[in-house]
Amino acid sequence: MKLNEIIEKLSLKVLTNLEDKDITGVYISDMLSDVMSKAGAGNIWVTIQSHKNIIAAANLIDIAAIIISQGTDIPEETIELANRYNVVLLGSDDSTFVLGGKLYQIGIA
Amino acid sequence: MQTQKCKHQWEMVNTNPGFILTEACHKCSQVSTYFSREDNPPFEEYRDGEHFWNVMASAQSVRFDLKCKLCNTLVTFDELSSLLLCTGCKKDCDVYRLMEKYSGKRIWFYVAFGFKPYADKLMLSDEKIKILEDYYNQRRDSTNSSIKIVSFEMIDDPDSCAGEFIIDSSMLLLAPPEKK
Repeated sequence: MKLNEIIEKLSLKVLTNLEDKDITGVYISDMLSDVMSKAGAGNIWVTIQSHKNIIAAANLIDIAAIIISQGTDIPEETIELANRYNVVLLGSDDSTFVLGGKLYQIGIA
Repeated sequence: MQTQKCKHQWEMVNTNPGFILTEACHKCSQVSTYFSREDNPPFEEYRDGEHFWNVMASAQSVRFDLKCKLCNTLVTFDELSSLLLCTGCKKDCDVYRLMEKYSGKRIWFYVAFGFKPYADKLMLSDEKIKILEDYYNQRRDSTNSSIKIVSFEMIDDPDSCAGEFIIDSSMLLLAPPEKK
């Protein structure tokens, strides 16, 4: 499935420049060390973390997009860094649990 | 490690979550960092030779080794403290200069840091850094961008580096037990 399709189906807010990509799966974690060791290239990463060091972890393993859940405030510096490193940042008011369910429902796991 | 015959395909093995603890000696102000797998590392001041160590900070991290799926070569990364995304904070830094040289090629620079005090601890060899870089590039599976990992020894003053460390410094912390 393409990222644009997921954005549309889940009504996600696009916070950065957008590059459509093939999505290989979903990884849910709030620990950077966990993502760095276990998430896959092309995954969507769902987290409540919004500190700019999430961009460093996402870029390292070529995460397709980060969805920041439960309406977390996202600092401008995080968005700036994401744009600089071509990391797509998306926002949602849903909880991580609900987002996980919705992603599963549309066929991404 | 890099045999001529094998085109290594690295995978991460022996992953162990733990904490990077930062200690300072109140006598000489030296700072020391180390990785601990313990749930209860020493929080009380303790003496080690001439030093009196006190825990200053902790951040969750992960230890790992890399193993070649083809030839079973195992490479340990006990010397790696953390990786940092270079954001080009200082124009006179050698890492920034190298990054500029590759600008426009979608090559992202990461810096591999060792443990403090840097002069006393074993540092990652260039060969291990290259293996780590190969591993992440293989894992990225991307043809339109890649990463380059360099040693923190390229930075004149690593403590002033303003890049982004990949550590969990606020989600889960070790703290001394509350006194009742």
